[in-house]
Amino acid sequence: MIGLVRSVVERVRAARPMRRARLERFGAIVQLAWPRALVFVDRAMARRVTRVAAEPAAWRDAETELGDHVLSAPLEAHLQLTNRCGAGCVGCYTGASPQGAPHEWGLAEWTHAIDELADAGVFHLALGGGESAVLPWLGELAAHARARGLVPNLTTSGLEGQGALLAIADRFGQINVSLDGLGATYAAVRGFDGFARADAAIRRLRAVKREVGINVVVTRHNFGELDAIFAYAKDRGLSEVELLRFKPSGRGARAYAELRCTDAQHRAFLPTILAAAKRHRVRVKVDCSYTPMLAHHAPDRALLAELAVYGCTGGDFLIGAKPDGRITACSFAAPPPPHGDHRPLVTELAAYWQAPGAFGAFRTWREAREPCASCTYHALCRGGCKVVSAHVNGDPSSPDPECPRVVDARPAQAHRHLPVI
Amino acid sequence: MRQRGRRGRIFAIKWGMNPNSSSLGVDVTFLLVGATALAIVTPVIGALLRWRSNKPVAAVDDKP
Repeated sequence: MIGLVRSVVERVRAARPMRRARLERFGAIVQLAWPRALVFVDRAMARRVTRVAAEPAAWRDAETELGDHVLSAPLEAHLQLTNRCGAGCVGCYTGASPQGAPHEWGLAEWTHAIDELADAGVFHLALGGGESAVLPWLGELAAHARARGLVPNLTTSGLEGQGALLAIADRFGQINVSLDGLGATYAAVRGFDGFARADAAIRRLRAVKREVGINVVVTRHNFGELDAIFAYAKDRGLSEVELLRFKPSGRGARAYAELRCTDAQHRAFLPTILAAAKRHRVRVKVDCSYTPMLAHHAPDRALLAELAVYGCTGGDFLIGAKPDGRITACSFAAPPPPHGDHRPLVTELAAYWQAPGAFGAFRTWREAREPCASCTYHALCRGGCKVVSAHVNGDPSSPDPECPRVVDARPAQAHRHLPVI
Repeated sequence: MRQRGRRGRIFAIKWGMNPNSSSLGVDVTFLLVGATALAIVTPVIGALLRWRSNKPVAAVDDKP
């Protein structure tokens, strides 16, 4: 017990230099390095725990609640450093290839981008690809992010570049390996047998780093295996399992009909993952697009809000950037229309963030139609995943077609539209 | 979340860091233990914030 207390105190002390804060209209966001968290506080508490000027610009207008307005900058930026990857997964949401994308940025451009993000007060980076582990300058970029006060985090397939990654693993806050199934299920989901290589990468990374987890794209093929995946994570000593909904983006658009979960699986999602997390004592995270499936079970709304469980926060809590630097509301979304004479770049975040109409439908979620408009979770869920809505309905602002509430409303709406004979 | 009035208020705590470059990951492990556990943890986080505020950080302000 004494050892545990000592360990906690040492971690808190060691984490002290990492603390950062950013003022918001509602108050402030304070980053803690240990425990690792972003804490959203009102103005009174912000004055107590941060150094605030007498009349900060962010507080000129009346104090509001969290979620009432777009944040002053994203919490995190998802940088697709490259679209190069030789894995060829059938459902790859970026359509990655060995050749990569045209006009991919290099170290100098991404370094500039990180400077811009740091100046804006962004806290975290999520670096991905393609396979970013193959980039010879990845470690240098991660070190620069650290120097500017941002925490770089990484997703890797575990299939390429792992030797170099081991040497720089300590520069990342969290590293997750994509693992969409165990053994043969991996091949069924991804289209090739890569489980053994991904597993080996997980073992090697875990040997040098505590904060290693897995990202699991949940499909109808691996849904029944979720409990076994949690058992695997426990067995490997992983820090978390992050579950991602299948998105119809990139090559995933073609594979969507075959791989997406069924409605029954979506309804069973929350109890299934909580039971698995409890049984195997592994932390579980879910991506933003799963919020409709959480709301289906009517959890305590205040608790969801206190855990910062939101649906689509693209262009608000998060942004993405393509390999050529074009900014997006999220990694699955297409870049917004030109702003001025070109599409906005991540290095132009500050100018674009407050531009009229910035991020289009991602910021107009309050103008919801039924059944979202009357849903008590709408302020959190924000209408579900706009990428799925755009693919299925042709309209990103339409209700998420996989939300159980939307599915349930469908027969009634269809009935109303029957022609009168 | 608690602690209204002069002491201020914590609206939300977003736990962990998100390595996933395709979406915003949130830790839902707390849904297992419910609001009671979070109600215990929140004052601890508040105390941690205040304990370390003897050397407060300068907050990034909005655009001037």
